[in-house]
Amino acid sequence: MSTKKGVLAGLAIAAAIGFAPATQGQTLNIMRGVDAPHFDAHRTTWSPAGDIINMVQDTLVALDWDGKTPIPYLAQSWEVSPDGRKYTFKLRDDVRFCSGKKMTADDVAFSITRLRSPEIKGPFAWRAGEVKAVTAVDAHTVSYELTEGFSDLPLQLTMFTNVIMNRENVETLGKDYGVQGMDGTGPWCFVNWQPRTEINLRRNEHYKWGPKMFKNPGPVKFDRMSIKIIPEESSRVAAMMSGRFDLTGAFPTAFLTQAKAAPMLTVQRAEPNFQLLYYGYKITRPMVADARVREAMSIAINRAEIGKGVLLGNAEPAYTNVDPLALDYAPKSRDFLKEDVARANRLLDEAGWKMGADGIREKDGMKLAPRVYVSANTNSAKVAEAIQGYLRKVGVDWRLQVWDSTIAPIKMGEQDYEIWSVTVPYLTAGDLMSLYFDSRNIPTPNRMNWKNEQTDEWLRLGKTALVPEARTLNFGLVQEQVSREHLWIPVLNVDMYMVTNKRLKGARPHTLYQNVFYKGLDLSF
Amino acid sequence: MSTTINAAPAAPATASSEMSRPSVLRRIMRDRVAGAAATILTVVVVAALFAEWVAPYDPYAINLLNVMAPPGGDHLLGTDSNGRDILSRLIYGTRNTLMLGLVGVIFGGLLGGLLGILAAFYKPLDGWIMRLVDVLLAFPAILIGLAVAAIAGAGMTAVLIALVVATIPDVARVARGAAIGVMEQEFMEAGRALGVSDFTLIWRYLTLNCISTIFVFLTLRFGQIILIGSALSFLGMGAQPPTAELGMMAAQGRDFLFMAPHIATVPSLAIFVIVLCANLLGDAIRDVLDPRLQQ
Repeated sequence: MSTKKGVLAGLAIAAAIGFAPATQGQTLNIMRGVDAPHFDAHRTTWSPAGDIINMVQDTLVALDWDGKTPIPYLAQSWEVSPDGRKYTFKLRDDVRFCSGKKMTADDVAFSITRLRSPEIKGPFAWRAGEVKAVTAVDAHTVSYELTEGFSDLPLQLTMFTNVIMNRENVETLGKDYGVQGMDGTGPWCFVNWQPRTEINLRRNEHYKWGPKMFKNPGPVKFDRMSIKIIPEESSRVAAMMSGRFDLTGAFPTAFLTQAKAAPMLTVQRAEPNFQLLYYGYKITRPMVADARVREAMSIAINRAEIGKGVLLGNAEPAYTNVDPLALDYAPKSRDFLKEDVARANRLLDEAGWKMGADGIREKDGMKLAPRVYVSANTNSAKVAEAIQGYLRKVGVDWRLQVWDSTIAPIKMGEQDYEIWSVTVPYLTAGDLMSLYFDSRNIPTPNRMNWKNEQTDEWLRLGKTALVPEARTLNFGLVQEQVSREHLWIPVLNVDMYMVTNKRLKGARPHTLYQNVFYKGLDLSF
Repeated sequence: MSTTINAAPAAPATASSEMSRPSVLRRIMRDRVAGAAATILTVVVVAALFAEWVAPYDPYAINLLNVMAPPGGDHLLGTDSNGRDILSRLIYGTRNTLMLGLVGVIFGGLLGGLLGILAAFYKPLDGWIMRLVDVLLAFPAILIGLAVAAIAGAGMTAVLIALVVATIPDVARVARGAAIGVMEQEFMEAGRALGVSDFTLIWRYLTLNCISTIFVFLTLRFGQIILIGSALSFLGMGAQPPTAELGMMAAQGRDFLFMAPHIATVPSLAIFVIVLCANLLGDAIRDVLDPRLQQ
């Protein structure tokens, strides 16, 4: 072989295995089912927003593939004081925002302070702990002081709501932050957003600080990313089958069997995966104020049939609020939910709801017809219709109100309902309980408006526990209490999947808050 | 005086009796296509009216152990994604869809007709009313439906309002055109000269002379109204689960097009047949009642 031929062959091999810029100028095409109202991480709990935020912005700590181990990211190390009230984070010194500005401890202090500020009313502010002060010791050292211990802090700091923002960018954009744009240190940079249509990102050329869980520390191997919103399920299936898109975390569960059989697609299940589809009661509404009524609705349905019939077996029936495999699960919470239609009828009778001539129960001239809010194109909407069918048999008429995904968070915020539904991902029992049942989280995400001093105390003791036993005990007591009160109808533990075109290499679904994409550093064609 | 008034409007009596003559039905049925359309529509309407007795199953009864069953066997048209009998839902859904069309046509026709006739009769109002009609024309029904659904929430009420509002301007224009023609007739002049009240002139002289034109237009409009109503429900602005409505049934079925195409195609075909029959029948009625076409 001549030298010239040898060089050419070498280049060809290098290109084939990815050393050469094989993907230069290429676009990664991603498909989603729903959009988000905005992308300001501090002002949302909406996982479709979190997906994009995770691409564009970074956290101090990353979550490893096992879904429970926090690993260094923007913070290369951290120390905790013996009383658990002070964390000292040592930041990387080579991190830049998409705008080119260097990230410093000032940006970290600003971001956490903004999340906790009363003006923002961050629904996930509690995930940052009871912050006393977050200050910049020097350009790359952050002092993170808490008023009380928070054993889960490193784990919680992996959440997209704790991303580090560019102070100048936030102040410049003001109320348009997260709508007109957002500067970040993530592997992708925000370009533009057409609501309900498309989001465009580009590669962050500075990026080289990917967490060790990825083989590629950065930058990503694509020039651009186009994320399209395709609300119709059949259209999403057709689009993936035709090769129009490279990756989606929103493949309709009903078609997963076809996807697995399709020669051009790869289906991967995210593991571990704690994701609960539940219906919550707003207990301050008279119709669902009585725990007997709430229990009746919860035990009059058949979860196994719903999982098999509606989600075609891609979900497991949930008889407790927390998955039995999750950290700090309380086995006793299982005792409060036993499906029994006869008992449901008895409970409703005892609660004074008598069967009307039209087959719907009534009391004091009011029909037992709770208003139920669900978001369109979600599993919640489909499952709600099945539950509606079961409950008609016991004289309950669920009045479904299906909202478009961009309106749903606003409408749910208005709380003009008796029942609402979402599918919530979580990390641990304490994570889920703290999110929903802490009275400080009223009205959102504590949409039940559950205000109980005992619950708050148990949550506090669980969060500040310095030993695992105390944490498990206190979070377990909360689980038992909220199960006894039937504040939720847990229905299904829903599986989470990532579907990719076979030409895309390096795909692996992450488990963090439904954000299967996470950073996408190892992806290539 | 009263005797004179009653004797004057000879022309209106002739026009209105044109519609009620038994020969009209016979003339429609002589047209084979129109006759077939009328027969199909009659069957559909009767089935919808007596849905409780005609439907083989409860349209809302779910059976999650028998979802997406293909047509045949116990379920003639199969079952949907919740295991509900599609034939039963189709029958009930047709009732709701026809109701949407009828309410849209009747109320839109009444309001639009009134506006058009008033515009023709009271010249100073003509400009104001027709500009209002122009404004209404500028808003597509789907946009109106979206606005109403955003304010009051999605539901049949939102669709009904959108359909009525969407019908008004077209009917107003047709009614005004017909009424202007009648206004030029001598019997109108005679009525005024005799001191007949405005109400009597509008109702007995003008409206009764325009009614056949408006009626023909509404029969043609009926199919379009059903189509718009179904489209609004398809988009999620109309009937909410579990209400059976053809547009919504088609929307729910689209998620399963690859696995169970009958869930979406059956209600879609039903909409197609109803709209086609309504249009064919409307054409036939126009042919029979429009004197120019008869010539």
